[in-house]
Formats: sequence, structure tokens, C-alpha cells
Amino acid sequence: MKTIYFLVLVPMVYLAFAVFLAGVIFQLLKVIKRPAFKPTLAIHPKRNPAFLWAILDALLLPTVWRHKRTLWFFLMAFHISFLMVFLGHLELITEMSWLQVIGHEIFMGQGFLGLIMSLALLYFFFRRFASPTKELSVPEDYLLLMLLFLTVVFGSEMDWARRWYDYGEMSVQEYRAYLSSIFMFKPSIAAVSTSGHSFMLVLHVFFANLFLMFFPFSHLMHSIFGFALNKIRRG
Amino acid sequence: MEKALREELISLFRGKLSGTMEMYLETCARCGICTEACHAYASMPLPKYTPAYRAEVVRRIYKKYFKWQGKTFPRIGECKVLDESAIDELKEAAYSCTGCRRCMVYCPFGIDTQQIMSIAKLLLVGAHAEPELLSLLADVSISKGESMDDLKEGFLEGVKSLESEVVEKWRQEAGRTPIPTEVVGADLLYVALAGAHSIIPAAAIFNAAGENWTLSFFEAVNFGAFVGDPSKTKIIMDRIVNEAKRLKVKEVCICECGTAFRVMSQLSGKQPFKVSSITRVHARYIKEGRIKVDKKKLSVPVTYHDPCQIARNAGVIDEPRYILSQLTDNFVEMSPEPKYNWCCGGGGGLVAMGEETLDFRMKSSRVKADQVRNTGAQVLATACENCHTQLSNINDHYKLGMNVQFLSSLIADALIR
Repeated sequence: MKTIYFLVLVPMVYLAFAVFLAGVIFQLLKVIKRPAFKPTLAIHPKRNPAFLWAILDALLLPTVWRHKRTLWFFLMAFHISFLMVFLGHLELITEMSWLQVIGHEIFMGQGFLGLIMSLALLYFFFRRFASPTKELSVPEDYLLLMLLFLTVVFGSEMDWARRWYDYGEMSVQEYRAYLSSIFMFKPSIAAVSTSGHSFMLVLHVFFANLFLMFFPFSHLMHSIFGFALNKIRRG
Repeated sequence: MEKALREELISLFRGKLSGTMEMYLETCARCGICTEACHAYASMPLPKYTPAYRAEVVRRIYKKYFKWQGKTFPRIGECKVLDESAIDELKEAAYSCTGCRRCMVYCPFGIDTQQIMSIAKLLLVGAHAEPELLSLLADVSISKGESMDDLKEGFLEGVKSLESEVVEKWRQEAGRTPIPTEVVGADLLYVALAGAHSIIPAAAIFNAAGENWTLSFFEAVNFGAFVGDPSKTKIIMDRIVNEAKRLKVKEVCICECGTAFRVMSQLSGKQPFKVSSITRVHARYIKEGRIKVDKKKLSVPVTYHDPCQIARNAGVIDEPRYILSQLTDNFVEMSPEPKYNWCCGGGGGLVAMGEETLDFRMKSSRVKADQVRNTGAQVLATACENCHTQLSNINDHYKLGMNVQFLSSLIADALIR
């Protein structure tokens, strides 16, 4: 079992990050290297400054707000929670005082961020079973949502255990010991491999690894191309 | 499908892959927000008529041949082999899309389905599976352009025969030609469609405005764009560009044809002349006091259909409203926001295909008919030949009892001294 823990928590993590970074760079280069399409593709009427409107389009999803309000609430809840959880993970690597400008516990959200993300992902998943989204969806869409859901659920469970069930064995210090060792290229899983909840961490990291490796080759690249495309639409 | 043909089609596909196109193809999350944007889906709620589904028909081929996924796990993305069934799917997708880009307004990423459909159309051309009529029209248009010297005499005779009708609308100073041609150094080159309705009202208005203009030998419509053949599009466009350069005009004015205006204004690149839509030119004449119009002529309620290629896709939105404000006190807006106006259902070459597409065009334009009916107007004005034909068909099919008019005709009929 220790070997499996090690493989998932160390080499697979490095592999996942390598594939993620190389994949994203490859996708960006692919776009950059292609010839530019010169004619305008803007929609009228235009509003200036276009780049500011494009940023708003990418961050606030006004078209979704206008046409599918329930989806908008879940999308915003998911993406805001995701951002906060991402910041929480940064704080699990090492202490980051710049993130503590507004003092908070690690993680923020009292455990509810994971819950919000889980519910949002279930909504995203099950809405794909209704026509016409059902006919539009391909297996990749379900697979990505399942991977994300499993990642979130196993990750959140560790947070929930500490906050809601007073499970004290794995604390921020243990996660920091593990994550900082990974980032310093001196990997050690000693701090996180002996707890009763270690398997939760291993499953969380396992699904996160798969998700990261899938990311650059999936439509998740919308997180990177979204602004550029909105800018093209804005002119 | 033979291997050589497949490779040729893949090569054509590759040629369409600009940086922007790559992003369009990589980004769609298949969220389905665009579904209600399409008039075809809103009128006939079948998934195949959703913009994302159409785009997915192309995207599945892209994933098969241009993505790692297509070589390793093709089932994950339902990658599609380029074969006869794919060609059938491409044809249905491309020719059920009018290229109105209403879906682009809905998409949170701004994915342009018309651009993606341009790949479908090109692959159909490559596989010789495009609508024959559109290709034929493009070829005829090109050959007419090539043998213009032989056809010039007939063209001039035809133009001459229209002059009396122009004078009927606007009698100008003696000695001036009602429809001038070949005027080197003219300020404006007017590119019309083949048909008196595109020349007579425009000529009367130019003359009333005292414009130093000349009529182009070439018709504005670009069947190359309809069929999605970039080389034919360019040939048809270039001959107008060359004529404008030869005559040293300052402005090329495109008649009421959405595709012609969009092709000329957005694909011709930087030129020594500016490209204007005739609606913009007419608005300018009224603003500058070069023409005057009688507001009493139109007393019944009038509404205006924004042609997608002129309004949403090229920005001519305020000008027709300004013109109508000068023509009537009884103008009724069709859509609260012009960018959300329903497409008439006739673009993308569908109207040019005539009877072949009539049934689909009528079924897919139910929402348009409802929108027009709900205005309560009696006159339905527009500024695009395709839209005019389609709206006239809708008017008959749905028994709307409207009077469908070109905006330029309304202006010409209201001219006063």
C-alpha cells in the first residue's frame, strides 16, 4: 500500500504537472503558430474599451446570466469557490503572508466551498442528461465532470473531517510538510501517509493528477482562451 | 471515401486553421447556452439545429485528425472519421445554418459558428458535395466577369432601358446621364445587383443628392461566399476592387445585399477607397441635407428587419433607424435590441438555392414570422436582397399581409425637391 501511496503522491504528481505544463504550452504554441485571421469577427454594436468588456464577459458571464440564470448561479458559485480553493492550496505549500492580508483560516469557507463545488458539479453533470445538452455532450464532458467531482469530494472530505467532525490527525502542518517537499523537489510523504485519512488524500491527489493531465487536451482550455475569444467578439 | 480524397480534405481543413479557429474548436464546453439562439432550433426544436451541434459535426473531424485524442482515445470525444456519412452530416449542418451569428451573442466564449461552418462548406466543395446551384451561380458570376468586354454592350443597353424609370422618380438637370457608367474620377462607385429594383431607386437618390457617381459593371452578390469557396469569393470580390481602382473612385457603395457588403468591407483589406453600405450613404445624404424626404408618404406603421450581415455583423444599426425617423412618425421596433433580432432564415446561400430550400426556410422561420406579426406594422422594410426575398416568402407562407419593401425604395418614393 505504501508503494501505491508513494507512486500517487510523488511520481504521478510530477508527471501530472509536467503533462499539464507541457500540454498547455503546446496548445498555446499551436494557436500562436497558426496564421492570424485578419478580418474582424466582432459583433455589433461595439462598446469601448473592448478589452475591459471582454474581461467582464470572461469573468462575469453576462450572456449566461441573461439566458440561463440557474446555470449562471452554479457557474459563478463553482468558479469563485474554485478560485478560493486554489488559493487555499497555495497556502498549503507554504505560508503566504500576501494571501493573509485579510486574515482567514486555511482553507477559507468553513468547509462550505467544497460543498458548493460538489453540488455545482452534480448540477453540471445531471443537466447533461436533459435534451438538447444531452445530444451535444460527448463522453469527455461526463468524464471531466466525474474526475472533478471525485477530486473535490475526496479533497473536501479532509476539510470536512477537520472542521465538522474534529478529526485532528491531518492538519495544515502535515499537508504543508508534504506539499512543500514536493515543490522543493525533496519529496517526502511521511507526514501524510500514516493517518487513517491518508487514503482520502491519495484518492484526492490521484483524481487531481488525472484531471491535470487531461486539462490541456480538453475543452477546459476555455479557461485560457476565454478572454481572447471574448476580445475577438468585442472587436 | 478514397484515401487521396480524404487527405485532400484534411489538407483543406488544415488550411482553415487560423489561431482564432483553433481556439473556436478547442473551447466549446457544450454547455448548450447557444441552443435557443438559433431561429431554426427555436422554430423546430431538434438538437441537430443547435449551433453547438452543428459546430460539433466539424469539431469531431478536427479531433480525429488534428488532436492527440483522435489518435489515442477517439471515443472520448466521439471523433469522426472523414467519410461519406461525415460529408452528409457536414452538408446538413452547413446548409441549415444561415451564418447569422446570433449564437455568437449567446455563447459565453463568443464562438463563431459561421466561421466553423466555413470549414464544413469548404470540405463540401472539396468533396464536390456542395449545393450544385450555388457553385453554378458562382461559376457563372466568374465567367461573366471574365467576358465583360463581350457583355458590355448588352449591359449598357439594359442600363439605358432603365433610365426613363429613374427619371420618373427624379428628374435631374438636362444633359446629365441618369445612370452614369465608366466615369473615371467619380466620387462613388455603386455596385448593384442584377435587377432593376437594385438600380432604379438607388440611381434616383444618387441623382437627387447630386452625387458624382458611376455604376459598376459587376453585380455585388458574392456566390463564392455563399458556397464557402475562398478562391471564388476572392475572384468575385477582386474584380470590383480592380474596377474601383481603375476608375479612381473615393468610395465603393454596396447595394442592399448583406453578404456583398460584409465581404467587401471586411475581406477586401486596406484599399485606396472606402467601402460603404448604401444605407449609410442614404443616411448621410439626409443628414447633410443633400436629399429631402416627405414624411407624409408613410402613415401606416412601419417596422425594420435588421439584416444580420449588415447590422449585427457589420454595425449598420443606427443609420436605418435614422432614415426611418425621417420617413415616418410611425416606426415600430422589431426587437428590443438589434443584435438579438431573429435572422430571417434566408442567409448563407439558402435563398439563392430557391425552391430547393423553401420548405426548410419556412419551417425554420416560424419565430421570425411571429416576431414580424407582433410588431403590428403594415410595412416591413429591410436593406438586404436575401432578407427581402425570404421575408416576402414568409409573408406569403404565414399570411402576414405585410408590404415588404426595400429601405432604398421607401426613400426613393419619398424624395422631394
